[in-house]
Amino acid sequence: MSPLESLEFDVAIVGAGGAGLRAAIAIAERDPSLTIALLSKVYPMRSHTVAAEGGSAGVVLPEDSLEHHFNDTVSGGDWLCDQDAVEYFVAHCTEEMVQLDHWGCPWSRRDDGRANVRAFGGMKIERTWFAADLTGFHILHTLFQTSIKYPTIHRFDEHFCCDLLVDGGRAAGVLAIEVATGDFRAIHARSVVIATGGAGRVFRQNTNGGIVTGDGMGLAYRRGVPLRDMEFVQYHPTCMPGSGLLFTEACRGEGGVLVNKDGYRYLQDYGLGPPDPWPRKKAMELGPRDRLSQAFWHEERKGRTVSTAHGAAVNLDLRHLGAAKLRARLPQICELAEKYLGIDPAHAPIPVRPAVHYTMGGIPTDVRAATPMPGLFAAGECASSGIHGANRLGSNSLSELCVFGKVAGEEAARFARENGHGDRGRVRAQAESGRDAASAPLRRLGSGERLAQLRDTMARAMEEGCGIYRTAAGIERTCSTLSQLRERIGEVALEDRSSGWNTQWLALLELGFQLEVAEAMAHSALARRESRGAHQRLDEGCTQRDDARFLKHTLAWHDGRDAPRVGWSDVVITRSPPGERIYGREVAHE
Amino acid sequence: MSDTRPIEIEVLRYQPGARAEPYVQSWAVQFADDTSVLEALQRIKDLHDGSLTFRWSCRMAICGSCGMMINGVPRLACRTFLREFLPGPVRVEPLAHFPIERDLVVDANDFMTKLATIRPFIVPREERPLSEGEYRQTPAELERFEQFSHCINCMLCYAACPQYGLDTKFLGPGLTALLHRYNNDSRDGAREERMQLVHSDEGVWGCTAVGYCSVVCPKQVDPANAVNQNKTMSAVDWFARFLPGRRP
Amino acid sequence: MTRKPYVRPMRGWWRRDPYFTRYMAREATAVLVLAYAAILLVTIERLAQGRDAFEAWMELLRGRAFLALHLAIVATFVLHTVTWFAIMPKTMPPVEVAGRRLGPAAITGAGLVASLAASVTLFLTLRHLAS
Repeated sequence: MSPLESLEFDVAIVGAGGAGLRAAIAIAERDPSLTIALLSKVYPMRSHTVAAEGGSAGVVLPEDSLEHHFNDTVSGGDWLCDQDAVEYFVAHCTEEMVQLDHWGCPWSRRDDGRANVRAFGGMKIERTWFAADLTGFHILHTLFQTSIKYPTIHRFDEHFCCDLLVDGGRAAGVLAIEVATGDFRAIHARSVVIATGGAGRVFRQNTNGGIVTGDGMGLAYRRGVPLRDMEFVQYHPTCMPGSGLLFTEACRGEGGVLVNKDGYRYLQDYGLGPPDPWPRKKAMELGPRDRLSQAFWHEERKGRTVSTAHGAAVNLDLRHLGAAKLRARLPQICELAEKYLGIDPAHAPIPVRPAVHYTMGGIPTDVRAATPMPGLFAAGECASSGIHGANRLGSNSLSELCVFGKVAGEEAARFARENGHGDRGRVRAQAESGRDAASAPLRRLGSGERLAQLRDTMARAMEEGCGIYRTAAGIERTCSTLSQLRERIGEVALEDRSSGWNTQWLALLELGFQLEVAEAMAHSALARRESRGAHQRLDEGCTQRDDARFLKHTLAWHDGRDAPRVGWSDVVITRSPPGERIYGREVAHE
Repeated sequence: MSDTRPIEIEVLRYQPGARAEPYVQSWAVQFADDTSVLEALQRIKDLHDGSLTFRWSCRMAICGSCGMMINGVPRLACRTFLREFLPGPVRVEPLAHFPIERDLVVDANDFMTKLATIRPFIVPREERPLSEGEYRQTPAELERFEQFSHCINCMLCYAACPQYGLDTKFLGPGLTALLHRYNNDSRDGAREERMQLVHSDEGVWGCTAVGYCSVVCPKQVDPANAVNQNKTMSAVDWFARFLPGRRP
Repeated sequence: MTRKPYVRPMRGWWRRDPYFTRYMAREATAVLVLAYAAILLVTIERLAQGRDAFEAWMELLRGRAFLALHLAIVATFVLHTVTWFAIMPKTMPPVEVAGRRLGPAAITGAGLVASLAASVTLFLTLRHLAS
């Protein structure tokens, strides 16, 4: 039996990416008497925040306003946003960007020394702060290095959280595996923040790192917290065919264009035109991501895409930017294109296609980052904070990490001050049975089916059934496959039965989370019989937005070994009644 | 997979429970023009031997997880392509100068501990309330440290540094570059404190200008430059002590 | 489970990688630099001891063994000089000339040219003085 050590902290934070680090710092600053356990299955600087490139939104220009940022975000989200959360969000973005500057983030600058901002998809006015094309990298390293200042933050690096501990219906801690040894640690806490990122790895082609497996969503989901709006998965329009590696939206913000095999800027055929003048905000290549990905899907159907070794693609043309501007503003893009594709963007276009990038859905939170479970908070991509609705605008996510990371930290701190620990005996017993469940695969003989086989089957099924355009038949097939996989995972044999550094075992635990999260995505997609934002359906009666019946959030509830039950909850509408999403020509008349 | 050829991959493995010493195991892997060493390792783990253990995440040379020795040179596995090594074999070993935990995973605790000691955060030269907005920093001021801020903590430079291999008390290239990054940031005022680390026995004087660290750095941080510039500054600071009233 | 990290020995490290071997060759040039410094010191000492001692020393230096040594020293000095200036850019903060940052090749090149010019000047001057 693996050792199980019990430790006590005031707040436990799962995930040390941008949101988790920001939460930890917020608690340490607000109340240095509270002890914080910050757990991460990788060293913090490996968190996937590191891969974000383009920038982080915050209103600064005199011609801009919170009203504009609010409207861009709500319409970008196809009115599925909780507007109270959006109001709070836009009002606090800029202050967080300034805070990052004070902590050392190397924002790219104007000549007068102020932070520079650039145009980004779906945004009326430039408000995206950026640090070359390494914004996520710089934000993550800034937050991680700043967190080192605070002695009350106790890090548990390379600790895999396999269970959420709950007592009397409130969060009471987490159960974690020390990766290096396989030993278990029960972290008893008065409040818990989940900041574990998205779940894009359930799909085949994605921009995500290997760690983005929806663990935190799974932790809460299994303990009765519903997952909200899981059907909304963002396809980023410009990714490397095959690997799915990201070419930042900033390429288009700097003036890059997308052309099909005939050299034609095809986006003008999809309500995003006219093509000129260019660049132009909220038009053509600066339209929202869902529209651009959908346009690609149509172009592929029409046979107008380019063929590559890894499937269909279109061309991202950056040649007209010139080598000097490319090196200065988009150095990482140049490196990616050169090293992985042998292409110099100053001389040749880059083949790109949509790949899964971001999970709009997740653990539902209100404007105080509180989930439906008392004492449980969530921030970042794992949360459904309500600000992205049916489609996220680029550069709103990095800002979200800071704005709601801080809120989650402060609220978790407040809860910890006002509440004691859960019952230590009961929590310890729960941890013991959690340990037994997590360790079971190490002892099991199994049918010999390989983990990778199940994982690839899941990823393919999600790509087919929950792609850019969906049909009931397709989704149902995927639901059926996922249900079978959930059976089969119980029989997977591990070749590796050691306890220390057993990444095959951890991958199996991750697959368990992924299958359940994927099921929530697929069943929510089936339930939403309309098309909105990133969820588009081809079947009859579902091809349009239907506010009368579906201006609601989906909620997927875990139901043991059965498929999730899907329910609904209200969308918070304050200032902006549902309207039409206007891009392209009509923007000029706003 | 179209158009693939086979290549032999030899991996130095270590499983502390099973065998006392590391040993080599090899597999034949099919690869295409754009198959990376990381993808090859994943294929082995998926199809042949699930116990093969290695760190990885982003696949795009920005998270710094997948550093390993590939044909004797510290490289990032996700950005090293098998086509480079034809006809093979390719020898993959854990990052040099670090203790091996298991297979290709090394013990990174020394690096992480040292990271905390260099004060890798802004200690403001002058306090500024958030309400006054961001610090003003010109593009020229940003340029003074930007390159050194690109370190992804992959530790390839430590694997390239024989002085670190011979004495792990040496602060080392990557962390000196990070220290230098903060010293050169116009917003920061803690240079004097950080120079104490630079002057120390474990500071820059452990470096003998081998220069390999900068050659292997995947982000062109040029840590050798950071370390050796600091030797000059350390010497200047030492002599400056004798000048009346002068702050180093 | 207890961890059992395995530490690999550093023995023979400089043979593992051609870069390290070249580095050790660079460092080894210091030995012959020291040898030449010793020769110069002995030369000065012999000079101080008078004409006979000095002539005897010069005769020794014209012998085949010392000639071979001197050739080795010249070769070593060239390697020493080239590797010195090759590593020099690493020791310097950014150098700007006419608003553009000087690359390492320019710095190394400038150093080698200056070194060559200084050597030629010294050689010609000494030859002139000796005649």
